[in-house]
Order: sequence, then structure tokens, then C-alpha cells
Amino acid sequence: MIAYNETWLANIRVQNILKKELSRGSITEDEFSAILAKYPVLFYSPAFFVRIGLFILTCVIVLFADGLLSLVFMSTGLIEASGWPIFLGLLSYASLEFIIATKNHFRSGVDDALLFLAALQLTVGVAILLYGGAENYLALSIIVFPLCLFFTIRFSDMLMAAFCCCAFFSTVFFGLEKIGSLGLNVMPFVLMAVSAGAYWLLLKYKNQARLVNYANCLVVAQTVCLLTLYAAGNYYIVQTLSDQLNGTSKPIAFGMIFWAWTMILPLVYLAFGIKNKDAIRLRTCLFLIAAAVLTFRTYYHLLPVDVMLILGGAAILAIAYAITKYLKMPRYGFTLEDGDDVDLMDNLRVESLIVAQTFSQPTTAHPQEGVKFGGGDFGGGGSSANF
Amino acid sequence: MNEAFYKNLHAEGLLSDESFGKITPPRPPADFSVQWEVRGLLYTGVLLLTGGLGLLVYENIDTIGHKIVLVCIAAIFVACFAYCYKTSLPFSPQKVKAPNTYSDYVLLLGSVSLVSFIGYWQYQYHIFGTSYGLATFIPMLVLFFIAYYFDHLGILSMAIANLAIWMGVSVTPKALLLQNDYDSGTIINIYIVLAVLLIIAAFLSQHYNFKKHFKFTYLHYGVHVGYIALLAGYFHYYDNFLAAIYLAALVLLSGLVYIDAIKNKSFYFLLLMTIYSYIALSSLVIRVLFQVGDIGAVYLVLLYFIGSAVGLIFLLISFNKKLKAL
Repeated sequence: MIAYNETWLANIRVQNILKKELSRGSITEDEFSAILAKYPVLFYSPAFFVRIGLFILTCVIVLFADGLLSLVFMSTGLIEASGWPIFLGLLSYASLEFIIATKNHFRSGVDDALLFLAALQLTVGVAILLYGGAENYLALSIIVFPLCLFFTIRFSDMLMAAFCCCAFFSTVFFGLEKIGSLGLNVMPFVLMAVSAGAYWLLLKYKNQARLVNYANCLVVAQTVCLLTLYAAGNYYIVQTLSDQLNGTSKPIAFGMIFWAWTMILPLVYLAFGIKNKDAIRLRTCLFLIAAAVLTFRTYYHLLPVDVMLILGGAAILAIAYAITKYLKMPRYGFTLEDGDDVDLMDNLRVESLIVAQTFSQPTTAHPQEGVKFGGGDFGGGGSSANF
Repeated sequence: MNEAFYKNLHAEGLLSDESFGKITPPRPPADFSVQWEVRGLLYTGVLLLTGGLGLLVYENIDTIGHKIVLVCIAAIFVACFAYCYKTSLPFSPQKVKAPNTYSDYVLLLGSVSLVSFIGYWQYQYHIFGTSYGLATFIPMLVLFFIAYYFDHLGILSMAIANLAIWMGVSVTPKALLLQNDYDSGTIINIYIVLAVLLIIAAFLSQHYNFKKHFKFTYLHYGVHVGYIALLAGYFHYYDNFLAAIYLAALVLLSGLVYIDAIKNKSFYFLLLMTIYSYIALSSLVIRVLFQVGDIGAVYLVLLYFIGSAVGLIFLLISFNKKLKAL
């Protein structure tokens, strides 16, 4: 079912677990290397930057090869046919299978690029073939969903899993839209029910032994489900969509339910994130809390922006300070010490680059222009872009 | 992983009795690190706070009174610096660990408010008169000093950005991409001077072992700015003999980056070197091929890109092997 060598995939899991045991000091270096030799991984999966380089170059090759083919067949009129992009997509797919089968590439950048391009070309091709390029989002979603599902199952790719989930929800969305006004009225509730149901199913089946190769995909899918669950009931989104689809601008029915949903759900996620010590949930809910604040701010202007920014910033700093004080010693299994996943971040000094980007606005390059308060390095522009 | 698996390893003799005893009993899971979440919160907090303060001043500049604003901003940065000065470990030319998670952000808040303080002061009271150069030069010096004294990479990046501002150009990646201010030869050459300065700073940091870990930041900005400026220079003087000089400088830069990347086992810089050099080479090849100027040239260009990209993939793979073998 899965394109990659399953023994090696299992060995990767063994190695990862033992790496943790090694860093915890439970096993010795010698034992570790002996076990590595016993459970080898012969995939070609190079380091992060090699992967990026190979991804870019593979895209270049595929694009120019497709260009060359199109040029060769231009005179025959074949490329005008709607099947041409499908043909190119199948070509990419075939090379993907070939590379994996013969060269043992696994997350090397080459397979990532080929998979992405194949999915893109096939989607475009089928869409043109069936609908002549007319805007028909329902049909597009219906095409993308099984396609991405197949790619997810075959290659256990996280991006494809995310696309697959999105296509599934957009199928539901555009399907309801087709039904008419009844569909529009129940849309938020149906989407809530569907995403909650999908999440529940994923949760139920995620520990099954036969899904062991799809752990990352399931995490991505769960995250998309949680985000959809929130978005389906977010007041701003519901209001905007109902205005757009109905062509009216009256306040929506059941407003209180949506307000409660907007405000309370992020806190529920937060509680579960803390309880289950789940980094992805935790980060998702931090993001959603910001979304809730922004939604509230869109409708109720209790405070001017500047005061709100200052109060919000001070509150966040206070919370963060309280957490650092509280976690001076690790408590309840939480710690402020370095985790396992800091290597890459540290390598790139990501944080310092972000600081430079947000606190050094290009507008400050011309202090002599005499804009009102232009001389400083205040992140005024930066904050509005990020807030 | 389950107990049976460990038992298996033990039976195969891959795990000693001692390690087996350590692994098998059920233990509490390793502590869950929330460091990045807390850092994200602190960063957002500083961003909002400084942004809000800036906006507050901007909107009420006519009513608050300039002296009060100045005193408030000064109070913030003095408090921040006093705190950092008190808690930070003594200065050392090596890497100094921050005393706690939030001190980095206190310093960031202090530095941002200090820079705005100087800017506001200059805007309102013209302390530096009309010498705008000085008005950007002083904050730059202060930022470099803070970055070195408290060992803060983020503030070093801010200082580098300020250096660029002082030289009249901008250096952050977004600005480099969005503001296509590569129209004039003068600006291109200023960028090149900036790149040379940064690269020299990178090598000096390493050579004198003085804040050696700052080297990456210097080199990162230097290499990007250098390559982009040299490529821009090449295209700016496309029909001029000067183009050849820019191209020669680019080859020189590539050689330099290559030697340094191999020495320090940095694949990141090898990748940058490869990609920027590839852009230069491709533009040269296209230039030559388009002299031919018919449909055959298009075929040749397509073939060139396919062939060269395949070649580069093998090159990158062999670079990777080479770095691992070192």
C-alpha cells in the first residue's frame, strides 16, 4: 500500500525511540550503534537544506522537461487537448514511483517535489477535462479529495493529508451551498458536526497498528479538523460567509451560540492541550485565542487600538512571566528546558532573523522624509502586520 | 515501544542487563518542554507593547507633551537595561548564556524603546541638527554595543539592519525582495560595500575568537546581500564591460563561500553558493544561446536547464557526502 520500504520505516521508528533513550542515558553509545546496525535504514533522506535544494532543482527539471515535451509536440496539436496536463502529471507520478523504487529516496526533496507537482498537474488536468476551466468548486473539491487521499495513503505525505482534509470539508461546504437556502442556514452546524465527527474517527483509529506509518498524517488531519471545527462556528466567519452567500448584511440568527463558540472553544482546546501535553494542540490554541480576540475586536471597539495593543502586550508579557516563574522547577511534567526539536531552529538562528525582520522596518530607512514619527525603530508597521 | 521489543533486543545481546533494567520498568514520560511557546508569547508581548506605545505616541503627539513621552520611553529602557545589567552574567568574548528565559525579551524591549527614544528626540528636538547620518549612526553603535555586551543575536541583527540604514539601504530579506531599489549603480555598489563589511566582520569574529557564534549572522546577511547586489550589478551593466567585473567578483565570492563552508561544514552556505552561482551561470548561458536567436535556441535552453539541474542534484548530493565524510 505504501510506496516506501515498510521495514525501513519501522526501523526509523526504532531508531528514533532509541535516540531518545540514548539522550536520557538509559542505553550506552555502543549499544545504540549496535542496534542501529541491526535495524538499518537505507533510505536516502538527507539533511534539511539538502532537501530544500533538491526540491527546488527537481521542480526546475520537471518544469523545463514539460516545456520541452510541449514544444516538441506543439505542431501536432496534442497539447491543446485537455488530457495533456494529465499526461504530464502521470509522467511526474511515474518518475516518482521510479525514484522511490530504484533510488530509495524518502523525504529527500526529489520525491516531495514530484509528488507535489504530480498532484497539481493531475488536478488541473482533470478539472479542465471535465469542466473546461469553468469555476466549479464543488467538482474541483470532489476531484481533489480522492486524489489527495490516494497520495496520502501511498506516500504518507503530510501536505497531501492536509490537502485531503481541506478538500473533504470544502466538498461538504460547496455541496451544502448547492442545496439552497436550507443548506446555507444549517451550514455552520453541519460543518461543526462533520469536523467533530472526523476528529473523533481519527482519534479512535490513530493507534491502530496498521496506521502506524501514518502517524504524522493523522496529526495533520486532526489539526485541520480542529481548525475547521473552530472556523465553522467563528462569529466573523459565519457572518461574512452568510452575507456573501445570501447577498444580505443582517445579523445572523443564533448569534449568541456563535459568540460563545468563538470565545470558549480556544480555551477548551487549551485545556486539552495542557492536559494531554500536546505541542501541536497547544500552538493551535494560542493561534486561535488570537483569532478570538481579533473577532471580538472587529465588532466591539471598547478601546482604541493603541491602548488595546499596550494592554494586550503587557498582559501577554505578564502571563509569560508568570509561566517562567511557575516553571522554574519542572512541574506536572512541564519544563522550560530545551526540548528535542530545537536543533534546526538553533541552527538557523530563526529567532534573530525574525527579530530583524519585524523590528527593523524599511520605512525607517528614510528618516529625513519627516513623516510623523518616522525616525524611530518602533515596530508600528510591523505590529499591525502581525497582529 | 513495547516491552516485548526490548526483551527481544536483550535476548539478542544488543542490550546489556543494566540498560535493560533501566529501560523496561514503566517510567514517567520525559518532561514536556514549553520553551518555544513561552518564547513566542514573550515575543508577541514585546511586539504588541512596543507597537502599541508607538501608536499611542503617534496619535497623541500633539496632546501628551513631548517631554512626558520622552521621559516615559526613557524610563522603560532604563529599567530594562538596569534589569539586564544586574542579572546578566559577566561579559566574556565567548558565548554567554542568558540568565533566564525572559531576559532576552527584556533586553529586546529596552533596545527597541532606546532606538525609538533617539528617533523621537531627533524628530522633535533635532539633537543631531540636520546631520541625519549621525542620527542613525548613534543608534547603530549603541545596538552593536548592546548586542556584544549582553550577547544577543536578535539585537545584532537589528544593529546590522541599522548599519544598512545608515549606509542608506535596507537589508532585511523582505525589503530586499520587495523594494527593487537596484536601479542605480551607486546603490548597488553601496550594497557591495556593506556585504564586504559584513563578511569581513564574520571572518574577524571567527579568527580572533571574539563572539564566534556571531559569525553566522554576519555571514548570512553578507552572503545574501553580496550575491544579490553582484547579480543586480551584472544586470544593471548588462551591455557594459563592467558586467564582466561583477561576474568575476561573483565567482570570487563563490570560491570564498565554498572554502569557508567546507571548512565549517555548513551545508546552508554551500546551498546558497550553489543556487546563486547557478542563477549567474544560467543567465550567462541564456545570453549566449539567445545570440543564436531562433527556435533552436529555445530547445537548447530547455535542454540546458534539464541537464544542468540534474547535474546540480548530483553535485549537491556529493557535497553532502563530502561534508559528512569530513
